[in-house]
Amino acid sequence: MTAPGPHILVIDDEPQILRALRTILLEKKFRVTTASRGEEGLTLAAANLPDLIVLDLGLPDMSGIEVCGRLRAWTEVPIIILSVKDSEQDKVDALDKGADDYLTKPFGIEEFLARIRVALRHRVQSQGGHETVITAGPLSIDLVRHVVTREGAEVKLTATEFNLLAYLSANAGRVLTHKTILTHVWGEPEADQVEYLRVYMRQLRKKLEANPSQPAYLLTEPGVGYRFMADE
Amino acid sequence: MLRSHWRASLFAALPRFAERGLLTLVLIAVTTLVLSPLRSDLNTPIIALLYLIPVGLSTTLGGLTLGILASLLAFLGFNFFFIRPYYTLLVHQTQDLLVLVVFLVVAVTVSQLLGRVQASLRAAEARERETTSLYELSAALTGLRSEAAIAQTLAERLIEITRAQAVEIVFQGGAGYAGRALLLPSGVQHPSAPPEAVLPLMTARGRFGEIRLWRAGLELLAGEQRLLATFAGQGALALEHALLSQAETQARILAESDRLKTALLSSVSHELRTPLATMKAAISSLRSGEVDWAAPAREDLLAVVEEDLDHLNRLVGNLLDMSRIEAGALKPQRAWLSLAEVAGGTLMRMRRASEQHRLVVNISDDLPLVPADYVQLDQVFTNLISNALKYAPGGSTITLSAWTLGGERVQVQVKNQGPAVPVEHLDHIFDKFYRVTAADRVTGTGLGLSICKGIVEAHGGRIWAENLPDGLAFNFTLPLTWAGAQPPRLPPEPEALS
Repeated sequence: MTAPGPHILVIDDEPQILRALRTILLEKKFRVTTASRGEEGLTLAAANLPDLIVLDLGLPDMSGIEVCGRLRAWTEVPIIILSVKDSEQDKVDALDKGADDYLTKPFGIEEFLARIRVALRHRVQSQGGHETVITAGPLSIDLVRHVVTREGAEVKLTATEFNLLAYLSANAGRVLTHKTILTHVWGEPEADQVEYLRVYMRQLRKKLEANPSQPAYLLTEPGVGYRFMADE
Repeated sequence: MLRSHWRASLFAALPRFAERGLLTLVLIAVTTLVLSPLRSDLNTPIIALLYLIPVGLSTTLGGLTLGILASLLAFLGFNFFFIRPYYTLLVHQTQDLLVLVVFLVVAVTVSQLLGRVQASLRAAEARERETTSLYELSAALTGLRSEAAIAQTLAERLIEITRAQAVEIVFQGGAGYAGRALLLPSGVQHPSAPPEAVLPLMTARGRFGEIRLWRAGLELLAGEQRLLATFAGQGALALEHALLSQAETQARILAESDRLKTALLSSVSHELRTPLATMKAAISSLRSGEVDWAAPAREDLLAVVEEDLDHLNRLVGNLLDMSRIEAGALKPQRAWLSLAEVAGGTLMRMRRASEQHRLVVNISDDLPLVPADYVQLDQVFTNLISNALKYAPGGSTITLSAWTLGGERVQVQVKNQGPAVPVEHLDHIFDKFYRVTAADRVTGTGLGLSICKGIVEAHGGRIWAENLPDGLAFNFTLPLTWAGAQPPRLPPEPEALS
């Protein structure tokens, strides 16, 4: 046997989903634990902290948002949310509470695995001391020296633009809601000014992306927020 | 109760009677004064005749009772002042006695006749008033379709006509309205005393409720009772009419929704079974182990399954959306959205499905933000693009554009190079289950466009289709204001570069 892979806890009340995800994840050499209730999931996570949690928003005993909040009270373990189309607001709430990413049911398994890979990498990064230089394709962002280069040439950014880019890239791979970004970059009072955020994102894309209307690194999560894609 | 009523009406009528009695007395006195200087010039029968004038006047003014009173007074005055011996009520001559008796008989007869004419005139007037108020009531009740409105009108009229202190209409039966009551005039305290009148509202289906009327202890007269009963009858009739028409509307709605459900079921059962059958066939053959599938064939079968699954997913989504629109539960959760971002998101999701077509987006990032529900607007884009993908030939271009209309609305257009739609179909393609093409040629529930219409209209916009020289365009508008608020102004170019 090879070394055991990362440990994933799946919390979902649908037995068929649990069965399918367990089979697929085991096949991909992950260790899998499953829970069908929120309380059970919290207990399992506390007893043996997994490397990643896949959390369904519609649980019988408590809302996924609450599970998210209670987990975030003591751990930074990556959380991927599973939602359905009708619970759009719940999804945003859960992301506001600190979930890392989301998938809308029904989803393709390739996408599911890709999200798991990104979330695990983000975890390795944040555990192994903060990286100070983040690279994404031709971009390089030096968080300490406040220098951004594109294909080796320095890109001039305003202070706010840099703060925004720094926050996004330090959380590379995570979905960051409008509210989260506004609170971190502009401070609480501006948390409703989504249009500010839009303007600055547009500016950043113009300066950093090869094709600003089809961004490769500064991605829009429609209706939710933004995500920065760093190199694998 | 009855005794106190009589006393009350007696006291109310007394001053009027005393007033008129006094007038009668004055009339007789004046006649006596005028005639007394002529006592020696006129003979007794003439004086008797002249005394009939105040009697007639009194009767005309005050009715029969006063007429009799006037007759008696005139008789006394005549006897006292004009029949010898003067200033006594004694009569010496037989002729005078005869004149007196005849006078009394004539006077009483005249006042009786006049009094009767008066009474019938007043009755006619009262009847006319009654008829007028009934006519007004039935005119006011015409066209009222709700119990509340009928009760309101009825109570208002009753207060006007009977000068009631308070009128209450209590519903005791009738669909969904039992137990409710209306008390007018609005703001009046519920009287603690028992009502002066209680009238049932009877319909063909039994007792519907009752009218209660308070008038500060003043009982209703017989004429008023009669009028009130007629009023109650009219009210009950109007209520019954309203109930019937409500029942009819309800039945029509049910029939319509039943028709829709039947159409939906027949449309959906086919649409659901086809992909299920394909998937079942593909999966079971892959699992059977009887055939050793070559890798490409296996891949092919699985691709079919996945495509059908996506189709089923869309179908279920459409059905849910439609039922929500039908139930009127489609409440947009508005936020200020960038159309470019919403359309971009939709295209990103549909990139696999749209591989056969060329998609061009002409939606500027600089358009004002639109107050709309993200999920619903995404649904509109998705359905319009799916529709275009379905009908426009592979390899053709689908163009998304948007522009503002006078700063108050924004218009969005999804244009394809597919075949034109005959003009007579253009208005109907947003109807549920409406198809221009035969159902077996193109898949779908026939719901996509009507969902778009439902969503756009819930946002206060309009949707329509038009034939263009180079294809078919779907247009919709959305307001740029939300509850009076203008789109937030984007901050000017942020922080100039150093």
